[in-house]
Amino acid sequence: MRIVIAEDLLLLRDGLVRMLTDTGHEVVAAVDNATELLTAVTTHRPNLSIVDVRLPPGFRDEGLRAALAIRAADPDARVLILSQYVERAYAAELLADGRGGVGYLLKDRVTALDDFLDAVERVAGGGTAMDPEVVRQLFARNSRDRGVTALTAREREVLDLMAQGLSNSAICAALVLAPVSVEKHITNIFTKLDLPPATDSHRRVRAVLAHLNQ
Amino acid sequence: MSSRTWNTPARAVLVPQTGRALGYLLTSLLAGVTGFAWSLASTLAVGVISITRLGGPAFLGATWVTRRLAAIERHRAGWLLGAPIGSPYLPVKDGPVLQRIRSIAVQPATWRDLAWLVVLFPLGVAGGIVGIVVAAVELGAVTAPAWAWAVPNPNAPFLLKPAMTTTPGRFVLCLLGLALLPVVAWLLRRLAGAQVWAARALLAPGNHRQLVERAAQLAESRTRVVDAQAAELRRIERDLHDGAQARIVAAGMTLALAERKLRNGGEIVPDVRLVRRQLDDALAELRRLVRGIHPPILTDRGLYPALAALAADSPLAVEVRGDPTDRYAPAIESAAYFVVAEGLANAGKHADATCCLIVLARVPGLVMVTLTDDGRGGADPAGSGLSGLRQRIEALDGTMTLTSPPGGPTSLHAEFPCAS
Repeated sequence: MRIVIAEDLLLLRDGLVRMLTDTGHEVVAAVDNATELLTAVTTHRPNLSIVDVRLPPGFRDEGLRAALAIRAADPDARVLILSQYVERAYAAELLADGRGGVGYLLKDRVTALDDFLDAVERVAGGGTAMDPEVVRQLFARNSRDRGVTALTAREREVLDLMAQGLSNSAICAALVLAPVSVEKHITNIFTKLDLPPATDSHRRVRAVLAHLNQ
Repeated sequence: MSSRTWNTPARAVLVPQTGRALGYLLTSLLAGVTGFAWSLASTLAVGVISITRLGGPAFLGATWVTRRLAAIERHRAGWLLGAPIGSPYLPVKDGPVLQRIRSIAVQPATWRDLAWLVVLFPLGVAGGIVGIVVAAVELGAVTAPAWAWAVPNPNAPFLLKPAMTTTPGRFVLCLLGLALLPVVAWLLRRLAGAQVWAARALLAPGNHRQLVERAAQLAESRTRVVDAQAAELRRIERDLHDGAQARIVAAGMTLALAERKLRNGGEIVPDVRLVRRQLDDALAELRRLVRGIHPPILTDRGLYPALAALAADSPLAVEVRGDPTDRYAPAIESAAYFVVAEGLANAGKHADATCCLIVLARVPGLVMVTLTDDGRGGADPAGSGLSGLRQRIEALDGTMTLTSPPGGPTSLHAEFPCAS
């Protein structure tokens, strides 16, 4: 997979490049600011851009803005945002355009290499990768929501993974469940949260996140 | 200084002072009449006009004139006081007429001005007349030999008759006048002094104004402190983000790769070494950061040992003087520590200093720390480090003084009020 990286800290940029290269990906450009990121994306048309939220010169949310600009210019562009903190509001902005191919993860997640590579593949394939921390924030916000409180413990687990963007099979593997029971849980969740049924995994994530983000 | 003025036989001081007193008394006569006429007329006029819609503007106009008159009075008092009395008014914000009237009317100074113009009438007229009479009689007596012969006065009262009509008598009168000259001068000065005292009581900024100013100062310094604190928190967040946190994430990445290599039977010793180094760096970053927030030795041992530790870490030859066991309020210890830390850093970085003296001293009610280097001076008190320090010190009601002439030496002095 051809990847562009935007990360201002040399230490982490090199780490990411080494990690992705060692696992068989090609890093076509590794830059340290938003302007060069936009140029690199236009030039290389990568399968995925991995972008730090905070980039020079302002060190605020330049990375996020650049990601939104990239996706506004090219609806098929895939962007994975990395950050040392996650904010529910940022996740909502990323998801707002309703298209797949976005991810928002804590930087710490890169150390769980397999999960991280999985998320990379998922986002590049047009899916979604939301950090468990974002999902936790969403649940905390909805702790009094009647639909959410009506969920069983198992359904909560399934919803958690689903909100992170995992596919049915991935959820099966993670929770050691049969595909049939996962599907049953998902149907229950959609009924309890009063959501229209959706089969496509990304649209499903979006529906769940939109509901939790209300 | 005032005792010296009075003890020296200072004709050079007393003569002009008496002249100014006489001038003050004479002008008081005029000012008293004008002021009284104005205050009476303006009060009546504003009272009558205020029945109509023009009352507001009339009040503002009348107050404007009253304030000008009061300003003249403050300057006139300055003849005797050496400097005009300070202006007591609080700023009036632009706005609707009613709001301006309210903000002027609630100021005590507005009414004290008017009170002075009224009080000045009896004071000024009485003082002025006494001044004129006393000065005229004295002048007449002293110059009697020159003029009394021209006005033979057979009907003069008993004692004055020989004095006025005979030549020796006239000279006696002159001598008498000269003898009484200091008394007369003293009387004129006292009269004028009493008037100025009354003027100062009514025209000088009162408690109200001082409290308002103090409140404004406090509000301003509080804002600055809050801003400085927010900036400081942001700096800490940035330092953590770019420092320790990034290093720990990097160590995690290295470990993740090592784990993968291990699974595939690869060599991971270099990776493990790298992780150790990255974690060591992260810890070092954290230590550096903690020291910048609040050095642990300051809590554990107090200011002097903390300064001694700073001195030992500095590339300069630093001597610390003070009581090694004395403890101060935590906020003062912290601020004083950072004054010295910043001063030492500047001395080494900008001033090319080779040695430095730190003096820590306490007098009743005051803690002082002074840092003097042998560098080339020319430090900028508006530099970001120093202005940050100043904010920190002013938040504790302390003061900071920087003396840094070109060529040196630079001396940084901070004082903090303390309870004991």
